[in-house]
Amino acid sequence: MRSLLASSLEELDLPVKVIEAESGFEALRLLPREIFDLVVTDINMPDINGLELVSFIKSNDRYANIPLVIVSTEGSERDRHKGLGLGADAYLVKPFEPEDFRQVVSDLLSRDREAS
Amino acid sequence: MAVRRTKKNRAPTRAEKAKAAASKKKDLRAFVSEAEGILESLLEDLSVLQDQGSLDSPFDPDLVNRIFRSAHSLKGLAGMFEMEAMGRLAHHLEDILDGFRLGRVNADSPVIKLLDGGVALLVSILSHVEAGEGETDEDIVATNGFIQQIEEAVAASIPPPSDDLDAFDIDPTVLRALTEYEEHRLHENIRKGREIALVDSNFDMASFEDGLSDLSAAVREVGEVISTLPSQGAAPESQIRFSLLVAMDINVERLGERLEQPDTEIRLIRAAQSGKSDSSESVAGDSLGLSEEVIKQSGKTAEPRQFESLRSIGDTIRVDVRKLDELMNLVGELVIQRNAIGDIVGKLSSDPATARTGAGLGKIHFALKRKLKELQAGVLDVRMVPMRQIFERLSRVVRRLRRDLGKDVELEFSGSETELDKLIVENLVDPLVHLVRNSFDHAIETPAQRVAAGKPTAGKICIRAMQRGNHVVIEVEDDGRGMDTEAILATAREQGLIVDSEDLSRRDLLNLVFEPGFSTRDEVSSTSGRGVGMDVVRSNLSSMGGSVELSSTAGRGTTVTMRLPITLAIMQALIVSVGDERYAIPIASVLETLVVEPGDIGRSEGQELLNLRGEPLLVKRLAEELEVESASRDNRQFAVVVGVGERRLCLLVDRLLGQQDAVIKPIKGPLQDIPGIAGAAELGDQNAILVIDVSAITAEVSRRQDAA
Repeated sequence: MRSLLASSLEELDLPVKVIEAESGFEALRLLPREIFDLVVTDINMPDINGLELVSFIKSNDRYANIPLVIVSTEGSERDRHKGLGLGADAYLVKPFEPEDFRQVVSDLLSRDREAS
Repeated sequence: MAVRRTKKNRAPTRAEKAKAAASKKKDLRAFVSEAEGILESLLEDLSVLQDQGSLDSPFDPDLVNRIFRSAHSLKGLAGMFEMEAMGRLAHHLEDILDGFRLGRVNADSPVIKLLDGGVALLVSILSHVEAGEGETDEDIVATNGFIQQIEEAVAASIPPPSDDLDAFDIDPTVLRALTEYEEHRLHENIRKGREIALVDSNFDMASFEDGLSDLSAAVREVGEVISTLPSQGAAPESQIRFSLLVAMDINVERLGERLEQPDTEIRLIRAAQSGKSDSSESVAGDSLGLSEEVIKQSGKTAEPRQFESLRSIGDTIRVDVRKLDELMNLVGELVIQRNAIGDIVGKLSSDPATARTGAGLGKIHFALKRKLKELQAGVLDVRMVPMRQIFERLSRVVRRLRRDLGKDVELEFSGSETELDKLIVENLVDPLVHLVRNSFDHAIETPAQRVAAGKPTAGKICIRAMQRGNHVVIEVEDDGRGMDTEAILATAREQGLIVDSEDLSRRDLLNLVFEPGFSTRDEVSSTSGRGVGMDVVRSNLSSMGGSVELSSTAGRGTTVTMRLPITLAIMQALIVSVGDERYAIPIASVLETLVVEPGDIGRSEGQELLNLRGEPLLVKRLAEELEVESASRDNRQFAVVVGVGERRLCLLVDRLLGQQDAVIKPIKGPLQDIPGIAGAAELGDQNAILVIDVSAITAEVSRRQDAA
């Protein structure tokens, strides 16, 4: 799934570099090391879950402005809504078309660019 | 894209069609075998779930999650192979399980009872797919009917009541990041009356995973980690803070005592409710304000529920292993009877007067032999269990050791699906526990010693199981200090196991630890006694027809390699005679047999040697080993080349009598410990003969060989 999303992002007509994290912990490690323009996270992950990651990112001044997309499976509406409540910017329900995913991502990236 | 279109325009050639059909068939086989695997574990897990439910104990959340994931994988698999009915059915089962997992569905809801039936239907559809019929019309009708049943049951079920989480003083930041599943786990733990607390701890960014996993492990010893929320640490950039929402069976203060993490704060959210029992009945009772006594009485209604769940277990049953043993014994006795018929066929056929009868009986004998083989294979198959069962037990042992000894040791398993006879698995637990304890206690150094040696602080024990032909090889490898050959040598001399002049190879020196009574440890440790017991490991393995060897590099670690037959119940044996007696040698350890004339055997340094295609093999006369009279000391004899692991040698016997299936029975009483004898076997003529313990003979001989 992760590599699928990554390759889908690389097909975007934007100069993006995709950095993949295998787990929530790895994401926590990577955050201070790079400057991210966008974060995509699942809800079900080993170690910490997606909501906890969203909470961490959105409650930190350094990262709070990074647009954040949640992907989750059907049936987890409550989790999705909690994610939005925590400050996530968009969500997608698996399975989704790569095209939808690219659309969401490029919208968020351009919104971000206009804002800055 | 363009390429694909041109291909479509051209009619496929016959070869292409055949290839496509073949690959489809192969794909289908892949689907069937993968789906079978998932369904098998589903059935197994569901039957465990049934047991848990009927015992009125709480459901294991990991188990429920695993069942949910199995249904989820099956749905995905069915989708990939366009198995429409299976996919839809798996999807509905997944929904039920998701609801159960998240606490939306009660354990005693009628929906849960439908799970077994759903899996049984999936199994039945899969059998049609496997037979090449695909999903039949009946399957689709049955699936539709079943899904309707599920939907009706879902509509009729009442969601369980849940406490209002806002009533508890939980940090809203933590509460907001709880997934639905975590919320459910919180409710469950509150319902069970466990103590709920929030544990906050700061970690260095560089090593937070280690610290956090220690902390979680400490909590898991006594409870459950419900959620792990990261936040900005006390020193931004270099630190990170984690808040663990935990539920425990012990008081929070006790948890504090167990933790080594210095910078940790524990906040009690809800104290343990000792009066509460685990059953959901009592919860209902509580909320209605019923007295303890009434609750206890209502608890009795669990009985009819248990009866119902037994009735609906579906396609799998649990069988007492003793019943399987009885069946195996019966099969073994039939094999013996069949051997007896074989003897009669031989006698009848060799006499011209009865040759016709002999031929007729021979045909029946042949058919009987084939059917018996199938029966034997079937019963054996039922007895096979995966190594996973032992691995789970070992994990528990290591968890306890980790806590008791304060050493950090990782346990790594591979080959958990390798199958072995249940009986062997049972007999293997003690030796394996012993080896793991030894590694833990003696081999793995203290963290300080490990750092000084340039090793990671956490030690590692790898246990690997793999099938090699009719054998299973199990390795226990640690990255500890390795074995000290000097100390072994000194101890062996001290205990009189070897004399001063003996010069042993490194390998044989190491394997001295398997000698009875050997120990290099002076002090008594509660973890592995006096370090004794390696001899018990070897004798345990020998009694199962297996062998054990050890290799070790000083400072780097030790590997113990065990070889075991896949089953004990029936073995193929080579029957030989020495003097007046007959003996059985397990075929699994026989490499070849040959005729030897007295002149073939040479002598060198007091040892008899046989030149086998340029390789000198040590010769051992079975008569001498067992201290019996040989009938043909100076005439021609037969050599049986036997080998266990890398040790090979040549056993001289008077005659080779043939190959037979033998049922091995352990010897009890005064004859139990004769060196060189592994047990007794019964043959077709109802006579018992002794089974040679090849591994003991090769081990002993090889030692003496090196000593000379």
